[in-house]
Amino acid sequence: MMFYIHKAACISPQQTFGDIDIEQLHVAVDNKLYAIEPKYPHFNGNALRRMSKSTRMGAGAALPLLADNDKPNGIIIGTQVSGMEENGKFLNQIIEYNEDMLTPGSFVQGTPNTISSQIALINNNKNYNLTHVHRGLAFENAALDAAMLVNENPAHTYLLGGVDEISANNYTLDTLGGWFKKEPCPSDGLYNSTTAGSLSGEGATMFTVSGNQAGAIAKLSAITTIHSSDVAVVKERIKNFISKELPDGKKIDLLLTGENGDARVFPFYQACEEILDDQTAIARFKHMSGEYPTASSFALWLACNFVGGILNIPRHMIKRHGDLKSLKNILVYNTHKVGQHGCMLVNVA
Amino acid sequence: MEIAELKEKLKVQIIQFLNLTDLTPADIKDDEPLFGDGLGLDSIDSLELIVLLKREYGVNIQDPKEGRKVLVDVNTMAAYIKEHGQK
Repeated sequence: MMFYIHKAACISPQQTFGDIDIEQLHVAVDNKLYAIEPKYPHFNGNALRRMSKSTRMGAGAALPLLADNDKPNGIIIGTQVSGMEENGKFLNQIIEYNEDMLTPGSFVQGTPNTISSQIALINNNKNYNLTHVHRGLAFENAALDAAMLVNENPAHTYLLGGVDEISANNYTLDTLGGWFKKEPCPSDGLYNSTTAGSLSGEGATMFTVSGNQAGAIAKLSAITTIHSSDVAVVKERIKNFISKELPDGKKIDLLLTGENGDARVFPFYQACEEILDDQTAIARFKHMSGEYPTASSFALWLACNFVGGILNIPRHMIKRHGDLKSLKNILVYNTHKVGQHGCMLVNVA
Repeated sequence: MEIAELKEKLKVQIIQFLNLTDLTPADIKDDEPLFGDGLGLDSIDSLELIVLLKREYGVNIQDPKEGRKVLVDVNTMAAYIKEHGQK
């Protein structure tokens, strides 16, 4: 047992917060998929204007899960870049003002653990509070942390989240590194692209998790992380993961894949598809979320809603329909910048 | 710089430094209190304003009592810059 997921909330480039509608695709602008942010009426003006975008989104997504005055036994966040825009401002101030008279705003908002801290302040929560920053596996590591805590304390509830934002500096650097497309690429043409890079994205996804099955919408039954840039090694590891973690007689009903239109990464996704039989349904999500280090948290939000029967898979996500009849077991596979891979097995609760 | 021009520049800088994105310079009256019932700024903002005065005008405010007299409204800030500004 890993943990049961009881509530989930997501602020993303799609209409995933408030009145949820994932059928209508919101497309990228200049190769970027910006999050659709709500008005955040629960934050007071002074707090809101100081928050970095990632803190706003993270705390904003967490609030509905804490609305019943719930106080989780821990707040565990995965983020790579966090408030990178504010971080950049702070570093520029150091140079611009010759290390003199630096203000606290950008420094506070530019550190990764600001998101979990802000949520703790809002929730008046002095329990376990940790932020994982392991690049493309930050969310998976946060989930593993939550799983270990649930294993020790099954009755406890934890807030688990994945958050990252688009920052001008990182976008420029990652584009130079070939991770974002240099030529214009429409969202609906992403998977036909044969060049390097993807669309840039951002978002915040929050879950409340525990060892209690009652009332859960989904179960995360297994998770693994792989560090390798060798397709054969990754394929073997995923194959072993499935055979070890999927109960005998069960099959993967849906592969939710992080395929992202980057020709350099495609062989990994192709290898994962080859492990499954040719009737297994395949759906993709990066045309919705864009590429960002904790995009797998967006995939987990989708998987929870699909196995929980809350949302149907929209047509624009489906790569192969296969013999999809019921959704009981979903494999989420995502890779970030070739070397980091994460697999999550999501089941009906 | 004329005092009227200085006040307009200050309003732009206050909005920029404090990220008051829902305001324009025209929304800030010269005699509108910066704290409390006026713009509703708080203690963290006062720190940002002190840094603004130092960075942009070379004005040092080291005595908290002096700061309370300077950071009242745009009028008092502009007058203090006129008297003590070094840029």
